[in-house]
Amino acid sequence: MSSTIGYFTRFGVDEQLVARTLAIALSRGGDYADLFFQHQVSTSLSLEDGEVNRAYSGVELGVGVRVVKGDQTGYGYTEELTPEALGRAAETAAAIADGPARPRPEPISIDRNLPHRYDLRTPWDTVRPEQKLPLINRLNEAAFRADARIKKVNVQFADTHGAIMIADSTGRIVEDLQPMTRLFLSCVAEQNGQREQNGYNIAARDGFDFYTDERLDRVVREAVARTTILFDSIVPEAGEMPIVMAAGSSGILLHEAIGHGMEADFNRKNTSIYADKIGKPIAKSFVTIVDDGTGKHQRGAINVDDEGVVAGKTVLVDRGVLATYLHDTISAKHYGVEPTGNGRRESYRHAPLPRMRSTYMENGPHKAGEIIASVKKGIYCQNFTNGQVQIGAGDFTFYVKNGYMIEDGKLTQPVKDVNIIGNGPKVLELVDMVADDLTIDEGGWTCGKDGQSVPVSQGMPTVRVANITVGGRGKGA
Amino acid sequence: MTMERGNDILEICRTSVKLAKHHGAQEVAADAYRVREVSVSWRDGKLEKITEATTRGLGMALYVDGRYSVASTSDLRPGALETFIIDAIALGRTLAPDPFRVLPDPSLYADRPQVDLQLEDADYDQVKPEQRRRISRELEEGVRGERGSDAILSVSTGFSDSWGESVKVASNGFEGMRYGTSYWVGAEVSVKDADGRRPEDGAYAGARFYGALPDHHAIARDAARRAHGRLGARKVGTAVLPMALENRVAGRMVGALIGPLSASSLQQKRSFLEGKLGTKIGSDKLNIIDDPLIPRAFGSRLFDGEGISARRMPVFEGGVLKTFYVDTYYGKKLGMAPTTGRASNLVFPGGAGDQKSLLADMKEGILVTGFLGGNTNASTGDFSLGVQGFMVRGGQIAEPISEMNIAGNQMEIWQRLVGVGADPYPYSAMMTPTLVFDGVQFAGL
Repeated sequence: MSSTIGYFTRFGVDEQLVARTLAIALSRGGDYADLFFQHQVSTSLSLEDGEVNRAYSGVELGVGVRVVKGDQTGYGYTEELTPEALGRAAETAAAIADGPARPRPEPISIDRNLPHRYDLRTPWDTVRPEQKLPLINRLNEAAFRADARIKKVNVQFADTHGAIMIADSTGRIVEDLQPMTRLFLSCVAEQNGQREQNGYNIAARDGFDFYTDERLDRVVREAVARTTILFDSIVPEAGEMPIVMAAGSSGILLHEAIGHGMEADFNRKNTSIYADKIGKPIAKSFVTIVDDGTGKHQRGAINVDDEGVVAGKTVLVDRGVLATYLHDTISAKHYGVEPTGNGRRESYRHAPLPRMRSTYMENGPHKAGEIIASVKKGIYCQNFTNGQVQIGAGDFTFYVKNGYMIEDGKLTQPVKDVNIIGNGPKVLELVDMVADDLTIDEGGWTCGKDGQSVPVSQGMPTVRVANITVGGRGKGA
Repeated sequence: MTMERGNDILEICRTSVKLAKHHGAQEVAADAYRVREVSVSWRDGKLEKITEATTRGLGMALYVDGRYSVASTSDLRPGALETFIIDAIALGRTLAPDPFRVLPDPSLYADRPQVDLQLEDADYDQVKPEQRRRISRELEEGVRGERGSDAILSVSTGFSDSWGESVKVASNGFEGMRYGTSYWVGAEVSVKDADGRRPEDGAYAGARFYGALPDHHAIARDAARRAHGRLGARKVGTAVLPMALENRVAGRMVGALIGPLSASSLQQKRSFLEGKLGTKIGSDKLNIIDDPLIPRAFGSRLFDGEGISARRMPVFEGGVLKTFYVDTYYGKKLGMAPTTGRASNLVFPGGAGDQKSLLADMKEGILVTGFLGGNTNASTGDFSLGVQGFMVRGGQIAEPISEMNIAGNQMEIWQRLVGVGADPYPYSAMMTPTLVFDGVQFAGL
């Protein structure tokens, strides 16, 4: 056995220990077991009140042991990578089953046949803080220079150098280096005694050279513009109306309206509004929605998921017809299909679940200008802070931080701070125009489910929703 | 099983403080913890998942040559710890100096309350795996035994418990330890609606002592009742109406009022409450006390995250803002004396009645029983939040509503607080009662 990137050394374990732990995991008759080793070093530098004056560094080292019996899961984890501690975690997980032991895997071998979606020329553990400091200071100065109304600027620069190793009871070992970086600039502006705050951030599984001048300029320009326009923005009127979702981070609509509901665990449990709808038409024929783990250096990209499955591009809605759920190995077995590489977890402390990667709608037949021109009175939704969904009822929301009124086919009054609420399947039926300007947002989106956070991406071409409830003010009094 | 108590993590903290000082830190605060957690999930007649682990970690705040850095690790292997500390100190040295970064004044460590908060169940290790499974199973049976069970698509129940210990050591004379246990039990129920929707709701309860958990059959009844109550929910017309907030969810609205009271929000100009100390923010009915010394409560503590001794603190009295949440760092930047940086238990004195009597008083309006997404602009106080609940007609709960939204401003809505119950929600540090507001903007059809 040999390991090209030294994972066994990194975790201080060897093949013998892996095999022994898997044997304990299978000792009570589990169908399948895996070990998830994780070592992650994170660093972040923060600027506040003009100085980079706080640093954070974190080390996560641990292993999770999972045993699966049918669709039942036993899970244990430990930070102590000793034979005794690993054995205890494996015994805990093994208890989900209650039968004769299964044989341990033989032989164990490393699968090197993996994609390379985020190889780095310079790994983050070789980038010194002194290289990052001038970049952070420069952003601060540029933000203050951009507009005299800016009163406070915060910058956070974060990077992670992470490694995972998954060993399963088929004898397969998979290793992946998973870098991540994120830069966030937020600002507070003042005008005539009024204050507003907003920001912009970019994230990728990329290295230091991700931070090109062009990207850094955009971070400052967008953060300042998105903040200062709030002084001219109003909270729009409450009630139902058409909306136009701008190209880019509007993918939040897909994430909430359909993405979560297509995660196969909810369907396996019969609790999703999309359960029993595979093969049925749910949208116009020009609507195709995918969840894609393959985007080069994208935040939501993964070479393999956290069960060791190579991640591909999964079609949720194929020309208007509901096509494929997002699977982990448990749900794939339940449905008798191949896993889609959506089994993800926050860390070794958690068992994997079906999760999204990069979710977006493919281009459609319309033009952005034509879509805006088609709306007599509505809202153009541009930037978002957060969203949420009820998997079973299908109701979902997203919070619009910046947007515009559309009046007689033109963008007019800027709007802000309004939550939009709809029902997933109803809204998908009401998507009646899709433009040809798909944009994957470059922001650092994080998705939460069952107390686990994972990095995701989202994207969208310009899209019209014919009717939805806008949570504004000043109507019905 | 037997728990080794405290000594090894106390030793890790003391060693880390010593190592950090040896490698050049002038001051240092170290926190170490060990938590054992067990959870059982049960679904539709069988076990879904069991998780069990004992986890540990160390966090450090390092004050080096007038500079500041924070570091945390779960890698406590000998050798790894010292390298980790050396690296964290080196990282801190690259930063700009920050004269406001100091450990709390040791006088704030003094007068630690000498009371037993009863946060740890001495019988924690008496809870057996079979018990967790039995309760989970009986919860499901209870739900399915209720009326309307033919609409049920799925029932998920669970039991979880944890035992934790943590130690804090600061180089200017602080040492403190905490122990705590908690038990949680709950049920989620999915039901099939006529139009194909599959609404779900549930009920859950928690306690620091096993014996203090409510009867799980009552939780099952409540979960079934709540889920069935969602059947046929629809949105109604956009309107301005009175709103009652169920005690279980009222924390969402209170949180948007409490968050901007932090000194960091004030100093960073991200608070609509800046400069409002001593002014009337809400109606006479707005009374909130921060009380860290309630026995067995989830937010109770003898000292806060910085080591500052806990004390009771009025936050709002008769609608008037009485204090900010001031930590050492932002307090120093603002020239304000530290109080505490983080809320403990929030208590709402002076209320009367419960949901039933408050709805009877409200007569017409909407009872909100759940929030869905939305956000609050902390600089301006504007909020917009998705809601579901029930119409209230003639003081009674009527048809269910969903896919609705409320919007307003924090500086206005608390002035319209017209009803406060004496029915605090028992399963959270935020012990919110039922709250009733006049004139709330609802968006729907």
